[in-house]
Amino acid sequence: MNISYDWLKEYIALNLPPGELAKYFDQIGLMVESTKEIEGDTVYEIETYANRPDTLGHLGVARELATLFGLPLKVPAWQLSELEESTFDLIDIQVLDSQLCPRYCGLVVKGVAVGPSPEWLKKRIEAIGLRPINNIVDISNYVCFSLGQPLHTFDLNRLKEARIIVRRARKGEFIRTLEGQPVELTPDMLVIADDSKPVALAGIIGGEESGITEKTTDVFIESANFDPVSIRLTAKKLGLSTDASYRFERGVDINAAPLGARMAASLLGQFGGKVSRGLLDVYPNQRKPKSVPLRLKRISELLGIEVPEEFVTRTLTALGLKLNEQKPGVWIAEIPSFRVDLEREADLIEEIARFFGYDRIPSEVTPARSFELPDNKEQDCLWLLKETLLHYGLDEVINFSLADPEKEKIWQTGLQPIELRNPISSRTSILRTSLLPGLVENAVWNYNREANGVHIFETGKVYFWEADGQQSEELHLGLLTSGRQEQKSWDQPAGETDYFYLKGAIEDLFFYLGYEAPVFEPEDQSFFENGQSVKILTKNETAGYLGLIKQEIRKAYELEKLAYAGELNLAVLFNRQPRAFVFTPVPRYPGMVRDLSFLIEAQVNFQAIDAQLKKLNVPYLERFEIYDRFEGGSLPAGQISYSVRFFFRHESRTLLAEEVDRAMLNIISHLKSTLKIQLR
Amino acid sequence: MSSLPEKIEQYRQVLNDLAAKTKNIKELEEVKQAFLGRKKGHLTLLFEELKQLPPEEKKAAGVVLNNFKMEVQKTLAELEEQLRRPRAEKTVSDLTLPGKRIYWGAPHPLTLFQRKIEKIFVSMGFSVEDGPEIETDYYNFEALNFPPYHPARDSWDTLYINDQLLLRTHTSPVQIRVMEKKKPPIRIIIPGKVYRRETADPTHLPMFHQVEGLVVDRGITFAHLKGTLEYFIKALFGEKVKLRFRPSFFPFTEPSAEVDIECLACHGQDSQCRVCGGTGWKEILGAGLVDPQVFKNVNIDPEKYSGWAFGLGIDRTAMLAYEIPEMRYFYENDLRFLRQFNRR
Repeated sequence: MNISYDWLKEYIALNLPPGELAKYFDQIGLMVESTKEIEGDTVYEIETYANRPDTLGHLGVARELATLFGLPLKVPAWQLSELEESTFDLIDIQVLDSQLCPRYCGLVVKGVAVGPSPEWLKKRIEAIGLRPINNIVDISNYVCFSLGQPLHTFDLNRLKEARIIVRRARKGEFIRTLEGQPVELTPDMLVIADDSKPVALAGIIGGEESGITEKTTDVFIESANFDPVSIRLTAKKLGLSTDASYRFERGVDINAAPLGARMAASLLGQFGGKVSRGLLDVYPNQRKPKSVPLRLKRISELLGIEVPEEFVTRTLTALGLKLNEQKPGVWIAEIPSFRVDLEREADLIEEIARFFGYDRIPSEVTPARSFELPDNKEQDCLWLLKETLLHYGLDEVINFSLADPEKEKIWQTGLQPIELRNPISSRTSILRTSLLPGLVENAVWNYNREANGVHIFETGKVYFWEADGQQSEELHLGLLTSGRQEQKSWDQPAGETDYFYLKGAIEDLFFYLGYEAPVFEPEDQSFFENGQSVKILTKNETAGYLGLIKQEIRKAYELEKLAYAGELNLAVLFNRQPRAFVFTPVPRYPGMVRDLSFLIEAQVNFQAIDAQLKKLNVPYLERFEIYDRFEGGSLPAGQISYSVRFFFRHESRTLLAEEVDRAMLNIISHLKSTLKIQLR
Repeated sequence: MSSLPEKIEQYRQVLNDLAAKTKNIKELEEVKQAFLGRKKGHLTLLFEELKQLPPEEKKAAGVVLNNFKMEVQKTLAELEEQLRRPRAEKTVSDLTLPGKRIYWGAPHPLTLFQRKIEKIFVSMGFSVEDGPEIETDYYNFEALNFPPYHPARDSWDTLYINDQLLLRTHTSPVQIRVMEKKKPPIRIIIPGKVYRRETADPTHLPMFHQVEGLVVDRGITFAHLKGTLEYFIKALFGEKVKLRFRPSFFPFTEPSAEVDIECLACHGQDSQCRVCGGTGWKEILGAGLVDPQVFKNVNIDPEKYSGWAFGLGIDRTAMLAYEIPEMRYFYENDLRFLRQFNRR
C-alpha cells in the first residue's frame, strides 16, 4: 500500500520531515519497504497485514501516527450541495441478501461534468500508483484510498428502471466486466443487478454496460459493505483481485459506508454535481460495538515490563477505543468498528506494546523450572549416520521432494505416488517415491560440469499412498557412487569406484550406529541390472537395496558412466535399539593365526562360506577374514580360490599349537563335507 | 718408523673413515674386531708397543693411548646405538612433495547451518522435535488461528494434495502436535522442510527449510522472547550484530514481532545495496507470544500459561551468513558449491 506524505497531512499536522517518518512507521509495525519522491511528495510503500484493513486508507494510517505522536486527527466534514429530489425518488434499492450485504448506502449526484481531474487529485491518484482516468473514477479511488471504503459509481441512466437489486447470481447469468471479459456467474456469487441483469460483481468489479462514460451526467454512488468470505470465494473462483475485493476480503468498517457516499458526493459537487436528498442506507441488522476486557496487571504479566496506566489509557483512546473503568486497573474497552482485528485482551496488549515500543521492553533469559532428559535419538542417529558417510568421502546433497511423474515412472518403484492438486508445473506435480532419481540427476549435473566422479548421499523423506489409502512419509537414505574416486595422492592413480565401496559404506553405517551387521541377499530390482543387486536385511526385515543402475535408466537421464546406488528406509534402523555398549577386556594372552587356501565351486557365494563358518562354533576362534580370492588363470573352470585367515585366542591362557591344529582340521572337514572345498 | 703418538693419530683417521662407511651391525662387528680384537686388534698391538718404550716416554704415551682407547670405545658404542635404532625402509628424496590427504565428504550447507542452530538451542535446554510434512488443514491453519477463507492464508500459499491434505507451509503445525500430547513446560525447536506454491526467484523456492521454536510455561513474557532470540542471533552472527524487533502480524502469535538484523553486506551504508534494498536491515525471523486462541485449541489454559514462538528460514539465514546470492544453489547440488562447505 502506497502512503503519500502530503495526503497524510490532510488528516494530521505532521511536523517531521518526510525522510524521518520511515523509522516511525517501522516502529509501529507499518514496515516501509521503499520510499520514493513523486512531484515533491514522498510516497512510502508500506507492508500491511491481513488483519488491518483500517491501514488500507490514509485516514487509518494517519490515526496510527496521531497516536504515536500525540497529535489530533482531523476528519473533514463533507459538505453537500443538495437537490430538491430525494434519493428514494431517483433510485429503487432492494437488498435481497443481507447476510452477504449487511449494509448498502447510496446517493445520486446529478449534472456532473465528466472530465479530467484537477491537478491535486491527479497527484493523489498517481501517488498510490494508479493512472488518473476521469474525475468520477478518480474520486471513487481517492475515497477508497482515504477511508479504505471501496465505492462503485454507476451511470444512473444506464440502470434499467433506475433499480438496484442486490442478490445472488442466477445460474447461467453472465456479466461483462469493466476489464472487458465476459464472466459466467454461479448462484454463490453476489451481484448488483438492475431490473434485467447483473450490472456489477458485488464488491469486486463493475459491469461494462452500466459504467461511467464520457457522456455520463447522473451518477449513482454505491458505498456498501459485503461479507468478506463471499467476496474472497468469488474473487478466487474468478481469478480476479481488485483494490475493492482486497479490502472487502479483509473486512471493511461497517460504518464507513455512509461516510464514503457523502465524501464522494461532496467531491463530485466540485464538478457541478448536485446531490440527492437523504442518504440511502439499508442496514437491517445494526451491529453493536465489541467489548473487550483489559487488566493492567495482565499487561506486565505478558510484556515483562510495567507500562504506566496513563500511557495505556491515552494510547487506546487515541486509537479510537472507549475505556470504561470497572475497578482500578480493570477496564471494558469498546472497540471502534474500523478495528476488525481487536477482539481479545491480548490484541489490546499488542496495541500497547506497539506504541510503547518493542525496544523499551527488556531482554531477559527464558527461565526454566526443569530440563527434560535428552531424547533426540533420531536426530542423534541421523547426525552420526551423516558423519560416517562424510568420513567415507561421500558429499551430502538435498533435492526437492517434488518430482516429475514422467521421470519417476521409469524407475517403477512400485509405490503409489502422491499427486498435488495445484502443482506449480507438470514437472513438479508429484512427491518423490525414491531418493535415487534425484541422486542420478545430481550425477548428470556434475558430470556436465567437469566432475570425474560423483559420490553422494541424501537423507530425506519419500511419500506414497498406502494400500489402505493413508498417506505415508518415510525417512530414507539414498547413496550413489559413480566414476573416478577422489584422488588424494600423487603416487597412486585414482581408481574407479565400485559396488564394494558403497557396500562397505553401508556395512560401516550399521557398525558405527551400533546395529547388528546387515545381511545382503541377491535379489533383482526394477531399476538395477539383473543379477547386480542385493536386498539389505536387518533381523529378517528389509531395510533397503543396493545395486548397479540399469542401463535404460542411465540412458533416460543421459548418464554415461556406470553408477551404483542404494536406498535404505531409516525408520527400520532407527526403530531398533542399538546394542548397548560396554567395554570388553583387552586380550592378555597372545593369539594364533592360521591361513587356509582352498578351491570351491563358483556358484557357492561368500555368504554361504561365511554362514557355514559361523555355524560351526569352533573353540577359541576369535574371527576370520578373507584375504585373497581369484578365479580363472591356471584354476579349473568353474572354481574359485579363496584364502582365509583364522585368528585364535584363549582368554585366560596361551593356546597350544595342537589345539589350534585340531580346530583347523575340524574347520577343513566341515567345509569339505558341506561345501565340497578342495585344499590347495 | 713413526712414533706411538703418530700411529695413534693414523688409527684415529682410520677409525673415523670406517665409522662413516659402516652401514650395518655386521660391518660394525668387523670394525670392532679390527680395533679391539684380543690378539690382532690395533689397540692390543699398540699396548704391546707401549710396553717396549723407555720408562721416561712410557708415562706420557700411556695417557695418550688410554685416551684413544676410550675414544674408540665411545665412537663404536655410539655407532652401534645408531645402527640398532629402528629406521624407515625408504628414505624420502623430496620432503616438499604434497602429503597424502584423506577426502572427507562435504556436509550440505543447510545441514551445517541447521546443526549450528540446533546446538545453540540445545545448549539452552531445548529439545528437537519433528513432525509430518504432509499435513491437514487443521494443523497447518485452523489450529493456528487462521480462519477458513481468511486472506491471512495468502501469505502461506499452499500446495494441496486434496481437500484434507496439504504440504505444510511452515513448521508451526508441529507446535500444535507437541502441545496436544505434552504438558507444559515445553521448550522445543522444530527444524524441517516446508513448501509454498511460489514461483522460483533468487529468494523464493517451492521448498525450503525452517526452524520453529516454542516455549510454554507459567510466567513467560515478551521480555523472555526478546532475551532468548537476541542471545541466539548473537551466537549465530557474532556479538556485534545489531538487531531490532518490530511489530508484525501472524495469526498464531499476539503480540507478534519480526526481527531484523543489520545488513551484513552494507551495514546500512549503501542506499543501492542489493542485499537489503538500501534499508540497512534484513528480516530474519518472525516471532511472538503464543496466541490465546492457539492455547485454547490444544486445551492449555492461557490464564495459567503463556509462551513464545518463533520461526526462521534456514535457507535465507544461511544465505546471509555465507553471502550466497541465490537460494537455488542449495538445491542444484553442484559439487563445486557443496565442497566449499567442507571447511567446517
